[in-house]
Amino acid sequence: MIIEVKKLKKTYEGRVPTHALKEVSFGVKEGEFVALMGRSGSGKSTLLHQLGLLDAPTSGEIIIDGTNVIDFTEKQKTEFRLKKLGYVFQAYALLPELSALESVYLPLMLTGVSKAEYIKTATEMLEKVGLGERIHHLPKEMSGGEQQRVAIARALVNKPAILFADEPTANLDSESSETILKLFKKLNKDIGQTIIMVTHEPDDKKHVNRVIWLKDGVIRPEGT
Amino acid sequence: MNIKASFFLARTTILRGNKGTLIMTILIMTLAYVNLIFISSVFGGIVEAINEQSIKNLYSNIVIAPADDEVYIENKYAMDSIDTIPGIVASSAHYINNTLISYDANNDGNDVQRGKWIVKSVDVEDEIRVTQISDSMIEGEYLDSNDRDKIVIGKEIAGGHGGDLDYLSLGGVYVGDEIDIKFSNGIRRTYTIKGIFSTKNSQADQMAFVTTKEMESVLGVYNLASEVIVKINDDELGQEEKYIKQIRQTGLVDEDIKTWKQLTGFTSSASKSFTMISIILGAIGTVVAGVTIFIIIFVSIVNKRKQIGILKAIGMKESTIILSFVMQAIFYAVIGIIFGVSIILFLIRPFFINNPLDFPVGWVSLKITFNIIRISNISLVIAALIGGFIPAFRGTKESILDTIWG
Repeated sequence: MIIEVKKLKKTYEGRVPTHALKEVSFGVKEGEFVALMGRSGSGKSTLLHQLGLLDAPTSGEIIIDGTNVIDFTEKQKTEFRLKKLGYVFQAYALLPELSALESVYLPLMLTGVSKAEYIKTATEMLEKVGLGERIHHLPKEMSGGEQQRVAIARALVNKPAILFADEPTANLDSESSETILKLFKKLNKDIGQTIIMVTHEPDDKKHVNRVIWLKDGVIRPEGT
Repeated sequence: MNIKASFFLARTTILRGNKGTLIMTILIMTLAYVNLIFISSVFGGIVEAINEQSIKNLYSNIVIAPADDEVYIENKYAMDSIDTIPGIVASSAHYINNTLISYDANNDGNDVQRGKWIVKSVDVEDEIRVTQISDSMIEGEYLDSNDRDKIVIGKEIAGGHGGDLDYLSLGGVYVGDEIDIKFSNGIRRTYTIKGIFSTKNSQADQMAFVTTKEMESVLGVYNLASEVIVKINDDELGQEEKYIKQIRQTGLVDEDIKTWKQLTGFTSSASKSFTMISIILGAIGTVVAGVTIFIIIFVSIVNKRKQIGILKAIGMKESTIILSFVMQAIFYAVIGIIFGVSIILFLIRPFFINNPLDFPVGWVSLKITFNIIRISNISLVIAALIGGFIPAFRGTKESILDTIWG
């Protein structure tokens, strides 16, 4: 298992505490393409944020690639995110001043590789996502689908163990959405990339290996 | 911390960000810097004008007074030897007498204007090498060596020449008028006013000068002096103590020898006050510059809140993000300094050299020293460091989810 989740709880404190995740347990095998699905407020994004170390759970365990990440310090989480995890956010999430190439090589730069190497690797990654001709374009010069592909290239450039995608097609037209999902499927098939994707589109099921259904913070069988 | 990544982010943000904002930011930094330098330089100029007036018209660089319990300096040989010391330009011996000067405009004994002023004697050839009073004549001429019944007086004695103390003056006397002087030994003499001077130093402008020969005939003394003022080379300023030691070696062992700085009681305290005001205004200017940078970086961080979250999410350390904002702040400060120095040195300074400010203490230009520039540069960079760091630190402390999804 590349991910093991044990009795994961997330409660948002307040006047009335909100139990977003209620002792969720599951596992993801290396090379799986998993969709987290459920209605709005079901806890699917909350779960993704816990798995991606973007947020801290209230209790439980998360073991990624054999490492229990629950007790990580912020510094360790940052390092882990850089080297082991990749993210694709809902709304492209590119820096407006950076070209496609610069956006993609930024995570590589953080790992300390040479300039020649990070430019070469980033260029190759952009070619893989079909943007070889657009490497010097700024986000404002690209379509939504192209921007999302830049975000995918950026997420994959450090060869992460797991790629997390939080409703990556939510802001895209159907054609661009299909392109992105096909790209995910291709990456999963060709290089065995483990992908965990939050989606609310029922049609997206056809692209993934497995669906984890969430309802009211609990994993349920589909349709219940 | 990844300095390379910080620099990369700072550079792309500056180069590809909003050009209008960049120009406005640099303009603000430039003005903040000019403000820092300008205020300090004006006060520096005032202090310099005060000091210059004291040196040029009152004390020169060193003043030798008689030993305690003595009325005069009597060692003529030593006085003559002073000028032979290398580095000393010249010396000028004075007799000083407290006098009562009166002016009877109508020669009828009515409405006589009188007052007590100091009359000094000068050896004209020596004096013109030591002080600049001879260059400050606003009416008539300075004395000649052989003048006996002639006197030059300051505008504060004359009155009617734009002095500050007209109510204490002779009420308006001019070249050619005759004034009566009663010396401290009781002797009375009449002198024709040969010239009236204005030095912009009211203490100097309250004095009158006659020739040494004339004063010796009044006082009945010869080859003595009430004081000797000594001028040293301009490039030796600040080395007065060294020359005092050498002067003592000529034989003036017990005489009271002081530097001009020790004698400028009022002006010294005024200088200190101006320096203090300058420091306070400089500190306020620095804080304003720091707050300006803080606001600029704060607004930038508010606008880039989501981007900061994304950078953290992809594994960028908080310290790297903070450093990129600090680098931006320092860039704004450094460019502000470069433009500011250029404006100061190539626009403002030449302007004030050609158009000095008319202050009561003298003509004031800007005194821009390397020290002022250095302190201002350091102040602005430190202000930029702090002003950039605080908002960046606070901005990066927000959780990733809060910054990305608000």
